[in-house]
Amino acid sequence: MSGDILKQLRETDFFKELSDDALQAVAAEGTVRRYAEGESVMRKGDAADSFFVILDGNLKIVTQDAKGDEIIINKVQPGETVGEMSLIDQRPRSAGAVALEEVEALELSKDVFLELLTERTDVTLGILKGYSNRLRFSTTYIEKVIDWSQKTAEGDYSFLENTQPMLNRAGSDDDKAAQLLSAFYSMVRKVKAREEGLKQELERLTFEIDQERRKREFEEITGTEFYAQLKAQAKALRERRAQG
Amino acid sequence: MKGKIVSIHSFRGGTGKSNVTANLAAQVAMTGKRVGVVDTDIQSPGIHVLFGLDENKMGKTMNDFLHGKATIREIGFSVGDHPGEGEGRAKLVGSNLFLFPSSIKGGEISQILREGIDFNLLNEGLQTTITEFDLDYLFIDTHPGLNEETLLSIATSDVLIIILRPDNQDLQGTSVTVDIARSLDVPNLFLLVNKALPKYDFSVIKKDIEAQFEATVTGVLPLSFDMAENASKDLFSLRYPDHEWSKSLRGVVDFVLAAK
Repeated sequence: MSGDILKQLRETDFFKELSDDALQAVAAEGTVRRYAEGESVMRKGDAADSFFVILDGNLKIVTQDAKGDEIIINKVQPGETVGEMSLIDQRPRSAGAVALEEVEALELSKDVFLELLTERTDVTLGILKGYSNRLRFSTTYIEKVIDWSQKTAEGDYSFLENTQPMLNRAGSDDDKAAQLLSAFYSMVRKVKAREEGLKQELERLTFEIDQERRKREFEEITGTEFYAQLKAQAKALRERRAQG
Repeated sequence: MKGKIVSIHSFRGGTGKSNVTANLAAQVAMTGKRVGVVDTDIQSPGIHVLFGLDENKMGKTMNDFLHGKATIREIGFSVGDHPGEGEGRAKLVGSNLFLFPSSIKGGEISQILREGIDFNLLNEGLQTTITEFDLDYLFIDTHPGLNEETLLSIATSDVLIIILRPDNQDLQGTSVTVDIARSLDVPNLFLLVNKALPKYDFSVIKKDIEAQFEATVTGVLPLSFDMAENASKDLFSLRYPDHEWSKSLRGVVDFVLAAK
């Protein structure tokens, strides 16, 4: 068992805005659970009566396709929370969670969680602050993607030079927005490269001048008496014009 | 000195030279300049068609002047007063654009070819044209190739614009013309690429041709079916000002106006 649940709680997106005191209240109400590899932590469609903070080990979030085969829709790592959404919106589990290895999680029951929200304003505020941050981040990213989409449509790829999208950290929710941004960025980079490739593939004309023929034809024209006279007349004309 | 002589030349036929000359002259006239167009393509005159001048109504021509049978005054045809039919040409009403046509009569053509033209007579004629009509620019539509009349036109030019298509045969011929123009000390030598297939990168064509000749390419104009369809019915760049061809052509105007 992890020696420092408080530290791990503080690193979750869900609880990171909580004060130490509020974190302690949460930790005190939770129960540490252990799951073997392949064991279900929660099932799709179940009533939502608790949520989990993953302390150790990875899980897969799964649903089923029309034939009933499993589809993995996400992977969850230590520090992330599972099932907190349905606790708040009171709807059944939208997906299942299965341990990919030995997993240790802190389970907080719905009753304990709601009690905490009622009694501890600091916990409530901390959680709201976390949600607010995630929304704010997402909005910023969405605005960026809109801006880039418009630029890309106009063939303006200058933002590629001026931007370095941040690398994904853990796969938490506000990072989904960062992932979108990052995926968009690399998509535009590929689109640009493909476009440049196509331009280069355009047949390029090759120009060649036969220099000997050029010289010969020039001499044929300039070698006549007519030309010598013309050149002299033209020279005189240009001198007259220069004098005004 | 007032009044610049701008010769438009191409080594081979079919480059769209007369079309470019007529459109360029019209565009320069649209900027408020006084502009004349002389057709010295005496062997196969044709620019008058682009200005909507009916051959049957053509009065005195450059041939008459060269034989001392007419004055320049009598030859000048005011396009601004008689723009002819066509939406594009109608825009020339009130502009100071004058056409000095050549004769299309076979007998008169052969007479000129037999006798040849004197440089000083031609030059005097052009200078008189500029003075009498108070012109800022006098455009000369020359005959393709490098025959004697063409050499005379080049020799007297302040600006020479060589039109070429982006192919090796045109480049070969153009190379000799470029050398001749330098030998005759033409002060402003410009190239203009016409009929470029849109599938090519025009900026590359421009760069490559400029590198071949060490001369400015003032524009790369696309090969256009719209243009071919318009044929000589109207002045294309006035009729379709937003067309790529017209936009690129207007870019050439700046080079002409900036020429010293």
